[in-house]
Amino acid sequence: MPLTMTKAGDTVTIRKITGKDEVRQHLAELGFVVGETVTVVNEISGNLILQVKEARIALDKTLAMRIIVA
Amino acid sequence: MAIKIALAGNPNCGKTTLFNSLTGSNQYVGNWPGVTVEKKEGKLKGHDDVVIQDLPGIYSLSPYTLEEVVARGYLVNEKPDAILNIIDGTNIERNLYLTTQLIELGIPVVMAVNMIDLVRKNGDKIDLKKLSNELGCEAVEISALKNEGSEKAAELAVAAAKKGKAGELPHVFTGSVEHAIAHIEESIQGKVDGRFLRWYAVKLFERDDKVQAELNLNKELLDHIDAHITDCEKEMDDDAESIITNQRYAYINGVVDKAVKKKPRTENLTVSDKVDQFVTNRILALPIFALIMWLMYAIAMGTSVADGGIGIGTFATDWTNDVLFGEIVPNALGGLLESIGVAGWLYGLIMDGIVAGVGAVLGFVPQMLVLFFLLSILEDVGYMARVAFIMDRIFRRFGLSGKSFIPILVGTGCGVPGVMASRTIENERDRRMTIMTTCFIPCGAKMPIIGLIAGALFGGSSWVATSAYFIGFAAIIISGIILKKTKLFAGDPAPFVMELPAYHVPAWGNVLRATWERGWSFIKRAGTVILAATIILWFLQGFGFENGAFTMVEDQDNSILAIVASAISWIFIPQGFGNWRATVASISGLIAKENVVGTFGVLYHYADELSDNGDEIWPEVAASFTALSAYSFMIFNLLCAPCFAAMGAIKREMNNGKWTAIAIGYMCLFAYCASLVVYQIGGLITGEVSFNIFTIVAIAIIAFTIYLLFRPNKYEGVNEVSFDSKKAVASK
Repeated sequence: MPLTMTKAGDTVTIRKITGKDEVRQHLAELGFVVGETVTVVNEISGNLILQVKEARIALDKTLAMRIIVA
Repeated sequence: MAIKIALAGNPNCGKTTLFNSLTGSNQYVGNWPGVTVEKKEGKLKGHDDVVIQDLPGIYSLSPYTLEEVVARGYLVNEKPDAILNIIDGTNIERNLYLTTQLIELGIPVVMAVNMIDLVRKNGDKIDLKKLSNELGCEAVEISALKNEGSEKAAELAVAAAKKGKAGELPHVFTGSVEHAIAHIEESIQGKVDGRFLRWYAVKLFERDDKVQAELNLNKELLDHIDAHITDCEKEMDDDAESIITNQRYAYINGVVDKAVKKKPRTENLTVSDKVDQFVTNRILALPIFALIMWLMYAIAMGTSVADGGIGIGTFATDWTNDVLFGEIVPNALGGLLESIGVAGWLYGLIMDGIVAGVGAVLGFVPQMLVLFFLLSILEDVGYMARVAFIMDRIFRRFGLSGKSFIPILVGTGCGVPGVMASRTIENERDRRMTIMTTCFIPCGAKMPIIGLIAGALFGGSSWVATSAYFIGFAAIIISGIILKKTKLFAGDPAPFVMELPAYHVPAWGNVLRATWERGWSFIKRAGTVILAATIILWFLQGFGFENGAFTMVEDQDNSILAIVASAISWIFIPQGFGNWRATVASISGLIAKENVVGTFGVLYHYADELSDNGDEIWPEVAASFTALSAYSFMIFNLLCAPCFAAMGAIKREMNNGKWTAIAIGYMCLFAYCASLVVYQIGGLITGEVSFNIFTIVAIAIIAFTIYLLFRPNKYEGVNEVSFDSKKAVASK
C-alpha cells in the first residue's frame, strides 16, 4: 500500500519507490531506500512527518503516494 | 601557500556552529560565483595560514539542489587540501552516506562525529577506532555546541592536509558493480586527475550528465562504458543510480554494525517528537502558529513598552527616531556645521536631505533587529522548518510551496531580508515566484503610509491596516494562481521534502550572528543606495526655475520634481490621485516607503519633523483626497515596485536582468490595475465617479483576471514529462 494509507504511530517497511526522477534519488539520499523501516510520527491532511534512519523528514502527499510500504 | 580545509556535512549537523567556533569573527561572507548560495570562509583561530571553507549543507554529491552543485564544484575544481566532514552522531547511517562519497574524491578526509553528548545520553557507543579503520580516514568525537573537541578536529584536518595523502579507499562496492567501475576506471585513466579516478568512475556509472559533459569523452568510449553499465543493470535488475545508492547503504550498514553499539530505545518517541505532536497537530498547528506570530509582532512592532505594551522594538525605534535622529544627531551636527560656517545649501543638504532621509530609514533598524532576532531564534530551535511544513498544504493550493512562507514572514519586517530568505527554496521556478510576490506583503516601512491614510481619512480605523495585510495576501494568492498557469512558471511546485531538525536550545552565537547579518544588509544599503537617492531627491525638490532662473527654490511647487511629477501625474487619473503631490510621494516611496509620509510633509510645507503617521498634516491630506482615492493611493503604494533596497535584493537573488525586470514590471502592473479597479468600481458604487471609459477598463481588467484565475492550466503535469525526457536523453 502507499505510505499515505498509514497512520501516526505505524512502523512500516519500504517495498518500492515508484517514478524515476531526481526526486527519487534525493529521497534515497535522505534514507528512503527499499528495505528501510519508517515510522509515521505525525500526519496532517495527507502530508506526513516520518522517522527514517533517526531523522525526521516531512513529505507531502504526492511524494508519500509514491512510496509503497508493507 | 595557505592550507585550504573544506567543511562538509549534512544540513542541520552543526556545521555552522563548528565553523563559527573555529573561525570566530574572522569570517568573510560572500556568494558563490554565479549563484546565490552563501559562501563563507574564515581563518582558523591561531593559524593564519589555514583557511576554512564552509560548504553549504548537503546530503550527497549528486546535483539535486543548488547547494549540492556548488559544493561538488568546489571540491572537484578547487581541490581543497583536506575535508573536515562533520557527522551527526545521532544519525550516523544517513550522514556516512555523504562520507563514502567524499572519500572517493581522493582528498584526505577527517571525520568529526558531532553531537557526541547526545549520543552518550542516548546510551549509544561509537567506536572511533573501528570507524576510522573501516573508512580509511581519521575520526574524532566533538560537540560543537559545547565546544568540545572542535580544536582537535581542526588540528587533525590540518595534519591530514600537510600529509597530503588520502587513506586507502574502503571497499564500498561489490561483485559486478565493482567490476564495472574498475573497467570504467581503466578506460578513463589518464583523462582525469589520478586522485579523482574513483569519483569520476562512479559518477560515470551513475550516468551523471554533468560529469559526462565535463569529460567530453568520445562516443566510442561512452558506448563501451555504457555496455558495462547495462550489463550490470541487467544482472542486478535495477537502474545504475539505485544500484550505487543501495550498495552504499549496504556498506554503511556493515560499518555501523561493527563500530556503533546502539542501546535499544525504551521509548519510541523522543522529546522532539512529543513536541511535534502538539506543534504539528492537525487541529492545534495553526492556532499555535498564529499565537507565536502574534507574540513575535507584539514584541517587535506592537505598542511600545513605554505605553504599557510589550513592544521592545517599537520602544527602541521611537527612541531612535525621536531622540537620536530627532534631537541628538541634528543638534550636534547642526551645531558643528554652523560653527564651521558651511554654506546654506550644504547645510540644507546635510540636515534636511541626508540626516532626515537616512535617519528615517535607520529608525527602523531597532525594530527590524528585534524582529530578526526573534525569527532567528525560531529558525535555530527548528520551528521554522515546521512552519514550512504546516503552511505547505495551504500554499500548495495556489502554486507556492510551504517554503515560500518564510520569506513572506520575514518580508513583513523588511522586504530585503525577505527576498534573501527565498534562497532556501531549491526549485528555481518556486524561488522566482516567491521573490516576485514577497514584496506584496506590507513591510514595516509601509506602516506609516497606512497610518497616514487611516488617520487622515478613516478616523484612524484599524480595519485599514487589517485590510492592507489582507490585500497583500490576496495579491500573493492571485499572483500565485495566475503566474502558475503561464508558460514562465509552468509545472507543479516541486514536491515538498524537508528534514525537520530535532528541537534544541538556541545557540545564541548563531542567533546573534544571523540577526546581525540580516540587519547589516539593510543598514549597508541605507548607507549607499538610500543615501544617494536621498541626495538626488533633495536636489530635485530643492532646486528649480524661479523668476526665470535656475535656483534653489523658495516654493516647492516650482521645483524640478514638481514639474516632472506634474507632467506624468495624468498616469494616475484613473486611480483618482492624478495630482502632482501624490505622484511625487509615490516616486519618493521608491527610495524608502516611509518617505511617502515625509514627502507629503514637505509638499504641504510642514516645517517641523513629522510624527510617524504624520498626524500634523492630516487636514491637508484629507482635503486633497477623498476616502476612496486615498485608499486607492494606499493600495498602489503597497503593491507597486518596492523600495530601491528591495529592488536591489530582487536583482541579486534573481541573478538575471530579464527576471528582475519581469518581477518589478509585474508588481507595478498589478498595483496599477488593482488601484484602478478599486477606484473606478468603488466610485461607481458610492457615486463618486460616473460611468466613463475607465469603468470599462476596470470591468475588462476584472474579467481578464477572472479568466486568468480560472482558465484550465494547459501546462499541468508538464513537470513530470520534462524530468523523464531529460533522463531519457541522458541515458542514450
